[in-house]
Amino acid sequence: MRAAESLPVTAIGRLDTAGRLLDAEMRLADLNERAGGRIGAPLAIPQIAALARLAQRLGIAISRNVVAADGEDDIELWVRAEPETGSVRLEVSGWQARPGWRGPANDPDRNGDFLRSAADWLWETDASLRITFISDDAGTRYGFDVATMLGQPITRLFSLEQDGSGNLPILNAVAAQARFQGQEAELRGTGRGVRLEAAPRNDPAGRFAGFVGAAYMLEGDDVALPEPDAPLPTPGPFGGFPDSFSQRLDRALREPLGRIIANADSISAQTEGPLKPDYAEYAGDIASAGRHLLGLVEDLVDLQAIERPDFTIAPEPLDLADVARRAAGLLTVRAQQSDVRVDKPALDERLPVTGEFRRALQVLVNLIGNAVRYSPAGGMVWIRLEREDGFGHVIVADQGKGIAPEDQTRIFDKFTRVDPAEPGGSGLGLYIARRLARAMGGDLTVDSAPGMGARFVFTLPLRLEAFGDDE
Amino acid sequence: MSDRPHDTRHGSATGAGKLLARAVATEARAARNLKLAVDDFFLPEAVRLGERLRSELALMVEKLTGGIEMGIREGARRLLAARGEASLAATLDRIDGAVHRRLTESGLLRDAELMAELIARVRQEALAAALPMHAPDDPEQPSLLNRFAQHPDRMLANGAVALLMAESRRRGTGGSGQAGDLPAELQHRLTWWVAAAIRETAAVSAADGAAVDRVLSESALRNLAAYDEGDRLEDAALRFAAALDAPPEELAALLIEALGDGRVVLFIAVLAHGLGVSFSAARDLVLDPAGEGLWVALRALDLPRGAVAQIGYALCEADARRDLDQFAERLDEIMALDPIEAGRAMATLKLHPDYRAAILALASSGNMT
Repeated sequence: MRAAESLPVTAIGRLDTAGRLLDAEMRLADLNERAGGRIGAPLAIPQIAALARLAQRLGIAISRNVVAADGEDDIELWVRAEPETGSVRLEVSGWQARPGWRGPANDPDRNGDFLRSAADWLWETDASLRITFISDDAGTRYGFDVATMLGQPITRLFSLEQDGSGNLPILNAVAAQARFQGQEAELRGTGRGVRLEAAPRNDPAGRFAGFVGAAYMLEGDDVALPEPDAPLPTPGPFGGFPDSFSQRLDRALREPLGRIIANADSISAQTEGPLKPDYAEYAGDIASAGRHLLGLVEDLVDLQAIERPDFTIAPEPLDLADVARRAAGLLTVRAQQSDVRVDKPALDERLPVTGEFRRALQVLVNLIGNAVRYSPAGGMVWIRLEREDGFGHVIVADQGKGIAPEDQTRIFDKFTRVDPAEPGGSGLGLYIARRLARAMGGDLTVDSAPGMGARFVFTLPLRLEAFGDDE
Repeated sequence: MSDRPHDTRHGSATGAGKLLARAVATEARAARNLKLAVDDFFLPEAVRLGERLRSELALMVEKLTGGIEMGIREGARRLLAARGEASLAATLDRIDGAVHRRLTESGLLRDAELMAELIARVRQEALAAALPMHAPDDPEQPSLLNRFAQHPDRMLANGAVALLMAESRRRGTGGSGQAGDLPAELQHRLTWWVAAAIRETAAVSAADGAAVDRVLSESALRNLAAYDEGDRLEDAALRFAAALDAPPEELAALLIEALGDGRVVLFIAVLAHGLGVSFSAARDLVLDPAGEGLWVALRALDLPRGAVAQIGYALCEADARRDLDQFAERLDEIMALDPIEAGRAMATLKLHPDYRAAILALASSGNMT
């Protein structure tokens, strides 16, 4: 990202007791100047100025994650303000450009909650990778003594195994302060294999404070294979929330969000009278953030439904060509806004299959919506129909930047986004779409190469009795 | 709105009478519902439990009664089998939610002490979840309890591990964990209520009633005998705090680190031990969003300004009901308080809790004559 890459990560600055900038290292000084400030004048970045004031009033060092405007962009900063005699010392690091709207999938805590919802048991560590928490019944279920493991290094509980490229995913994750999955290990002394996943926990200064982790047993009575094709583990309480909470999630959030969106839209459209243009624009932002949240609520409600052991679909005869045309029709406006053309199946094409209409429509809206989102302006999205081996195929192809082979399985995981910097999306859409496709007896696959665009293939079983009058 | 004419020709006189009675009942119910809604609406925001806490509380009550119910039913069934009365076992089959429903409807669960304990517990857990984590300056340095778990002093090491265990149990997914872990008195009360509710909801013939009563009460007694108040998280924390017996100059660092590790129960226990008050008294100080009591308590421990500021800051960050700005505003005033005077103000907290409750009850009852 620009020449900024070569600058030191942390910029130091000092304010006097009246909040005037005494001195600042280049990066901070530049940011302050772009915001209209200068040395000797009050700091022009209000969030940092407020933090410095607070540190001074309380007389203690304070760390916080701050989002500051930098020209058109928002940047995410970790700021530490420490009062000294006659001044406040600032340490500013992070300097990550932040998309205008971020899905909560980037939020490690929430991420952790969801990550753990389907696990066999849970564990947590502190920054030194010593165990601070283990699900209380894990010991009796899998044959180890919880009391002798608490407080011990994680390697005392797990004998970690290297992955295909000779790395320990957990150590890479510590270094990168990132989430990891697929760390295989043996539960020491039990001969049982286990797969570990975890999300990092950070303190307000952005430092690594430990892992919030999940464990999936690989064999034995409590089998919960992680492979997407395997029957999925029975989920625990949904997303770490009590059941009663998630049951009401939909009802409790949909209506107020709907109202927020509707009102913000009418403010943005200035239906009640003229408004300063930037306020109208803010209202547009509120509406779009609201839509994002609403989409997330819908995803979560779906996720909860499809992860229930008793989830079923109601198969019915349907015409996949018709579903594809309708899905494309629903996205016409969005495609036009992004200057993308959608080439949908001709009106006389038919593809009789078995599935559930609204679920098939949901899958296709997701696929075409993604294709539109990742298409360059002036690009094209193709929707093609095929029949092969007793299945009807819908192929959705775009001219976007494509998906690297190593990401092609990952994109169907929960909360995976190939490019986390990309705004929007919960990282649930493809996961849900594939689960739905499989629940209907079909599948959802991808083939793509970076730079070549992505091709998603959605299949459903052909309706055999329909062949006679169809062809 | 509707102007559709209704066909009433088939309505019989008795039917109409019932309908009228129902309509009157509906009216009464509507009035009652409205009153409840109005009461709820006018609850001050600072007092009202938020949606999340309400939901957590409901779940906790359900888990508690459900766990105790399972224990009693299992024990009773075993007793029946041992006495050759296995034919009665079917009468003890669980009817989904019946016991919990009965206890809720009866109003027994409105018990002030039980609710005080449970509400404090959900608040305590919410606070722990919302506290900003604090990473050590040296990434190799283990967190507070993990350091003590390796301590050469066996008392301290065992105490730290017991606390880690108790916390894992409390937060665990249930299963084999001890059902309850309430203070002993409440555990007894709730166990008997559950046993009585099982009896009431079981389909037992009059002839078998005595046998079922016998096994239920015996099973309840056995469950209570197996219960050990000392296993409770709060007690483990108090024991650890007592074993540590931190000298005044180490108290500040200990309290701050406990908060930074998200160990709220330990924080409360260290505070309680330092002040020489009960766990629940210290917990009330910490959970009260107005916070005055806590600042006085921290002054009574003679904590330096930096420590008070850090603790106040962390609590404000974790609890939206606390006002950080107001706290910063008042910090000087708090620090101006003399520790000895603050200690004197804390003295009432050290009185016997029943005595304190009686004083409060007397004060709030006013004068009846």
